[in-house]
Amino acid sequence: MDIIVTIKEVTDPNIPPSYVKLDAQAKRIESPFGVAPVLNGYDENALEEALRLRERHGGRVTVLSLGDDSSRKSLKRALAMGADAAILLSDPVWMYADSATVGRALAAAIRKIGKFDLVMCGRQASDTDAGQVLYWIAETLKLPAVSPIAKIAESEPTNLTVHRLIDGGHQRLRVQLPALLGVSSEINEPRHPTMRGTMNAGRALIPGWKLRDLGIAQAVPKVELRRLTVQTRTTKAQLIDGSSDADRGIALADKLHDMGLV
Amino acid sequence: MAGILIVGDLAAGRPGSEFLELAGAGAALAQATGEPLIGALIARDNAAVRQDCLPPVQRLYLIRDSELRHYGAAAFVAAARSALGASSPSIALFAHTLETRDWVPQLAAALDAGLVMDCVALSLDGDALIATKPVYGGSVWGEFAIRGTLRLATLRPGVFTPATPSDKPEVMQLTVEHIAVNAVTMIDEVAAAASGGVNLKNAKVVVSGGRGVGGAKNWHYIEGAASALRAAVGCSRPVADSGWVSSAYTVGLSGSSVTPDLYIAVGISGAVQHLAGISAARTVVAINSDADAEIFARADLGVVGDYKEVLPAFVKRIEQLKS
Repeated sequence: MDIIVTIKEVTDPNIPPSYVKLDAQAKRIESPFGVAPVLNGYDENALEEALRLRERHGGRVTVLSLGDDSSRKSLKRALAMGADAAILLSDPVWMYADSATVGRALAAAIRKIGKFDLVMCGRQASDTDAGQVLYWIAETLKLPAVSPIAKIAESEPTNLTVHRLIDGGHQRLRVQLPALLGVSSEINEPRHPTMRGTMNAGRALIPGWKLRDLGIAQAVPKVELRRLTVQTRTTKAQLIDGSSDADRGIALADKLHDMGLV
Repeated sequence: MAGILIVGDLAAGRPGSEFLELAGAGAALAQATGEPLIGALIARDNAAVRQDCLPPVQRLYLIRDSELRHYGAAAFVAAARSALGASSPSIALFAHTLETRDWVPQLAAALDAGLVMDCVALSLDGDALIATKPVYGGSVWGEFAIRGTLRLATLRPGVFTPATPSDKPEVMQLTVEHIAVNAVTMIDEVAAAASGGVNLKNAKVVVSGGRGVGGAKNWHYIEGAASALRAAVGCSRPVADSGWVSSAYTVGLSGSSVTPDLYIAVGISGAVQHLAGISAARTVVAINSDADAEIFARADLGVVGDYKEVLPAFVKRIEQLKS
């Protein structure tokens, strides 16, 4: 089973909100000094699941990322976890690209790679929270998109049985391959890279493809980011008074009762 | 023909509460553009429409089809396309739900239309629809300009002021043209196993514990409070990572997003990872011994103190108030 996993490098979500910084154009979230960007969590789940499918069915796992040069670090981490090959899409034209543009570029790269049975993506990225790129890939490649996936219950070389989350539960779906899956965090616990994997990844060459390598034209974006603003809450929490912690507990209960919340 | 189209679900004859919120947001755009406000409801069962809970739309399309009983993206995209075909709107609005976040982007991609999801504000600037949405777990807001003959947005529930139900709009039935080719077939639907007796994702009240709880041996404080409030139990990622409770309880990017009326965060510091999961919670209460914890910036109410003292007194008082 040949699988392509799309990944994105994001600002570490485990930092306090007050450390969030924007770039000079107020269009990108930048990692604060000393905090390295990380592989988007859902993408790491997608990669882990791809590696498990490969362990079962054989084949190749190729990771693909669109980003700036620093994304090579995340691609190397993916190689260290066990991916067979990695490709970076990097071109200044994609600096502030919208979901459609990113999705079409990734789809063109997947076509260029050629052979695949399955495309796996994280359900969304933790920085932009847009959750659209996977669907633009699917539409461009005319693949069925199924998301968010909490489990792959059965896998055959030509079809999968998956659990797709819905309100209040999940659906069991049979998906004919080729297809695209949007993976959610419930699916697995991603492995850590091994020492040997990390050493091999360090030596790996990661090709960089630009817009002209993909044979597609740059479309006029339909969605344009005007600006980001950091939300500094002007109103902090109203603190409950009391002479002791127990008093404050009682006052909290009374307050919530008055508000009709308990 | 142009218009502002709002698309919602109809169950047991009633649209969801979000539909009135869509009408509120849509009416403002209709007034600004001079275009009519049009509604479309996707029926999830056979119940007839109850006329007394419909918003003031000029026309209401009702889409009823056996394929729409269970969720599937292809059928919902086909239903929406039939409403879009009938009304040719310049803007279409949807509520932001687990389902729409799956099928509305597929609709956008199929029609090559610009879409922004989970919006908390909308306005117009010339030919652009300006949509504001929280990103990075809600600690940053992004302002986007959407352009094109059709502009799409999903709106975060509970943010926009709902319209008042009005007299009977004209209801028109629409049929769906299904696309026969479908590589995805449903076997069945399975209800989620409840966590702590209450389903976390749909819970009205959630009591969540963080690293500050101090260990698995103290977890009974969280469970006790949850039980008194008939609330679901949640936790932050470090708690699950440390193995104090199962990761099924995790609230945040690596777990569930919750939408309760009341969220009580005990010993939770408030990393972006966690805040992302509670961005749609209505009232957030933080109990933390560290007065500088980030969670107090997100919380509406706060108690600075030792939860081991605060919670038992809180629970006892709740039980008094209930009896």
